[in-house]
Amino acid sequence: MHISEGVLSGQVLAVGAVITIVGTTIGLRKIDYDQMVHVAILASAFFVASLIHVNIGPVSVHLILNGVVGLLLGLAAFPAILTALVLQSLFFQYGGLTALGVNCVIMALPAILMHYLFLPLVGKSPKLTFVAGFLAGFFSIGFSCLLMGSALWFTNEDFLKTCIAIISAHVPVMVIEGIITGFCVSFLLKVYPEILPKKIVGKKNWKES
Amino acid sequence: MKKILFLIALILGISSTSALAHKVIVFAWVEQGQIHIEGSFGSDRPAKNCVIKVTDSNKGLVHQGITDAQGLYSFALPDTNDSDLVVELDAGTGHSGHWTLPKDELGMEPTLKSLEEKMVQKQSLEKDPSLARILSGIAVIFGLAFAAAWIKKRKKDKSNA
Repeated sequence: MHISEGVLSGQVLAVGAVITIVGTTIGLRKIDYDQMVHVAILASAFFVASLIHVNIGPVSVHLILNGVVGLLLGLAAFPAILTALVLQSLFFQYGGLTALGVNCVIMALPAILMHYLFLPLVGKSPKLTFVAGFLAGFFSIGFSCLLMGSALWFTNEDFLKTCIAIISAHVPVMVIEGIITGFCVSFLLKVYPEILPKKIVGKKNWKES
Repeated sequence: MKKILFLIALILGISSTSALAHKVIVFAWVEQGQIHIEGSFGSDRPAKNCVIKVTDSNKGLVHQGITDAQGLYSFALPDTNDSDLVVELDAGTGHSGHWTLPKDELGMEPTLKSLEEKMVQKQSLEKDPSLARILSGIAVIFGLAFAAAWIKKRKKDKSNA
């Protein structure tokens, strides 16, 4: 999911950088003082997730976890993902500093979209909470693949061919991330509901057995 | 606080079962009149069937090929070349890596010592990120978060005063 340095055109890199700067600024303004530790925890999870490899047949993909970060943080996902990507680039040589803006947009925009699409379902019932988490994990990767395909398409590659190649390589990770995000959100709502937005914690209307 | 520590422990637990992600590693060396190229995504994952492009310092294409099932590719040294050569491995969907072969390395046969040095260089490229690096990254994230929280608190206190 990390586009390497030297692959994208200057224009695509510039657009990515501008969107990232705007998104990060808005995100930083939206973070409450109390929420800062949660942002750090989720940024850390995102930072180490790319080290976890999933080998399914000939395909080898790594976890991303942008779904859970976006679902729980909303707009604050932008600075969280940007920080983690900078550190992944510096410490593990993933992606690259020039492609940072585009990589951040690819992973943060779908994450934020998941927050607005699926957070209203979280806390309604245990089943719906899991479903919301699964869909957030699944579709965040799906949309990230489409954005990645678009970035490569604007550079010089065939959009449809590239998107099919990226999505088919990421189908296993979409399912795995869906399951992880589903369990993660259900588990957090049980043991550490403070990490979820206050309105969701207040909405939870069932008792744990 | 206990819950936060538990979550941090969970993150570290995940990282201890780590493997390399998609970092494209290209390594090239000259031996017996041939340029040998090895591409991988880490020590045990060869970059199979990936496009190799070799260009000179003016970005002119010198050679092109495709890696085999072991991620290897070799070709004869070009006769007319008079510059550094840049080896690019395109693993598709935005993943690529580069390796530069300096001009003075192209004309001479490598010694055992220089080959050993290259191997050390290669192994360091392929090494998994150490636990120290992972922990340092997490420490930086928390350091930044606490700095941001401190700034936000100061602003809040000022506006309340």
